[in-house]
Amino acid sequence: MLAVLSVEIRKLNRSLAVLLAVAAPSLIAVFTFFNLMRGKAPQPWEMWMVSSIGIWAFFMLPMSVTALTALVAHMEHGPKSWDHLRSLPLPRWRLYAAKAMVVLAVVAMMSAATLGLTWGAITLATTLKPNLTPTGPLDIALYATTMGKVFLAAILMVAIQLWTALRFASFVPALVLGIGGTFFSVVATSAKAGVFFPWQMPVNMLISSQAWRANTALGLGCGLGLVVMALAVAHLARREVL
Amino acid sequence: MTAAIETEALTRCFGRHRAVDAVSMTVPDRAVYGFLGRNGAGKTTTLKMLLGLIRPTSGSARIAGIDVARDRLGAARRVGALLEAHGFYANLTGRQNLDLTRTLLGLPATEVDRVLEVVEMSPNARRRVSDYSLGMRQRLGLARAMLGAPPVLILDEPTNGLDPDGIADMRRFLRDLPARTGATVLLSSHLLGEIEQIATHVGIIHDGRLVLEGELARIKADLAPEIALRVDDVARATAVLKPFDLALSSADNGMTARLRPGDDPDAAVPAMTRALVEAGVAVVAIGARARSLEGIYREASAPAPVTPSQPEFV
Repeated sequence: MLAVLSVEIRKLNRSLAVLLAVAAPSLIAVFTFFNLMRGKAPQPWEMWMVSSIGIWAFFMLPMSVTALTALVAHMEHGPKSWDHLRSLPLPRWRLYAAKAMVVLAVVAMMSAATLGLTWGAITLATTLKPNLTPTGPLDIALYATTMGKVFLAAILMVAIQLWTALRFASFVPALVLGIGGTFFSVVATSAKAGVFFPWQMPVNMLISSQAWRANTALGLGCGLGLVVMALAVAHLARREVL
Repeated sequence: MTAAIETEALTRCFGRHRAVDAVSMTVPDRAVYGFLGRNGAGKTTTLKMLLGLIRPTSGSARIAGIDVARDRLGAARRVGALLEAHGFYANLTGRQNLDLTRTLLGLPATEVDRVLEVVEMSPNARRRVSDYSLGMRQRLGLARAMLGAPPVLILDEPTNGLDPDGIADMRRFLRDLPARTGATVLLSSHLLGEIEQIATHVGIIHDGRLVLEGELARIKADLAPEIALRVDDVARATAVLKPFDLALSSADNGMTARLRPGDDPDAAVPAMTRALVEAGVAVVAIGARARSLEGIYREASAPAPVTPSQPEFV
């Protein structure tokens, strides 16, 4: 399995997926930088960091997952490399499982980068405008935990997007699904039904007033997500690619 | 001795369409087997079943005696394949692409250098595949198929996209491959002339059915020899040659006299020439014509006629 995993990682070398992994968190950091620079009075750290996690959870994460899974799948669909890969003497489920692991790892790194780059943007902005230095404590553990939950709640969405992207050689079905999911995630962020909607599960981690919503979304997003991911890998490995 | 590749009534249906219909083929060890058929005849579907990429509806396929359906991994360990779609990652170099497959196969790092050397791609190995010509990709694909020196190579259209020099190189390379590496080669191609120069054995598939198979030299020997002739008066020549035991046909470019299988054309040509000249027929040209693979292919894959063909046996 390690060999397949290392191959998947090496495929990302000089690919658009790496560019995306850097660009998406950077955009949030750039937004935070300019948002802070236009401020008149200092705001608490929590406001900056939680709003950064919020932007990530309800918009940038679903969009990034859509693009990342499409790019990772298209690395094989584009040059039609499935026949070569699937004819090799190794269990096919490993090919798909390695892809799933790499996608999850990249999403985890992007989540961490969002926190890190946001902190960097705030630090840079306050170097230029020291009077806007955030107030209150910088509770890194709290932000990391929240971001960790956002990541775990996103597993179901990742599984659905990855299966769609790998199943269909055209990237259109995966993009339509992802854009549609993100659209409803954005326009109905506070909808109670969103707790059952895979693209909205991550943002439910930020709703602290109703614990059941966070817990349900986390349980479904992570628990059901892992089950769906396993089923997706099994299905993709078994099906014929004609 | 176990055949390198063997299928038994291999069948694959897509809905109601039988893409491959009870194909029983045998590729002997160390043969270069030319797999011929027009587009849509069932070549690629057969190759995909041999590689375990699609499942047969019925029948079986064995690679080096291993049933592909029962032990795909075991069979796959004995095959290297060059498929029509190369599946290279354009953002990586040729060497990096080979190294990915090498890693998946668990082979030593030196194996990449070995196969690059074999296909004479070492000088270009550090260039990105996006900068490769089609011919270079084809050779890189061949190098990848040879990683781990598998005893069986399945090559789908290996001369596709190559220039004349590239085709000649590939032809020489494939012809020598069994002697150099001990590998058995199954290759599909549209280029009958190329297959004729490379293959020791051929199989012709038509509408999903294997219509002809065997050792190429033997197939040619078993066929009725032909004599091509050009004369000034076809009607008189036909009448003169009536006593000879042959089938005559004529076309714009002359006449063709087909002997009985096993007849010696070297004996028939002087007798025919003498008879024609004595009858006053001007013989412009006459000589035995080697049976080409193209002719064999045309005959084998010709659609069954509604009425029986009518060669004029005189």
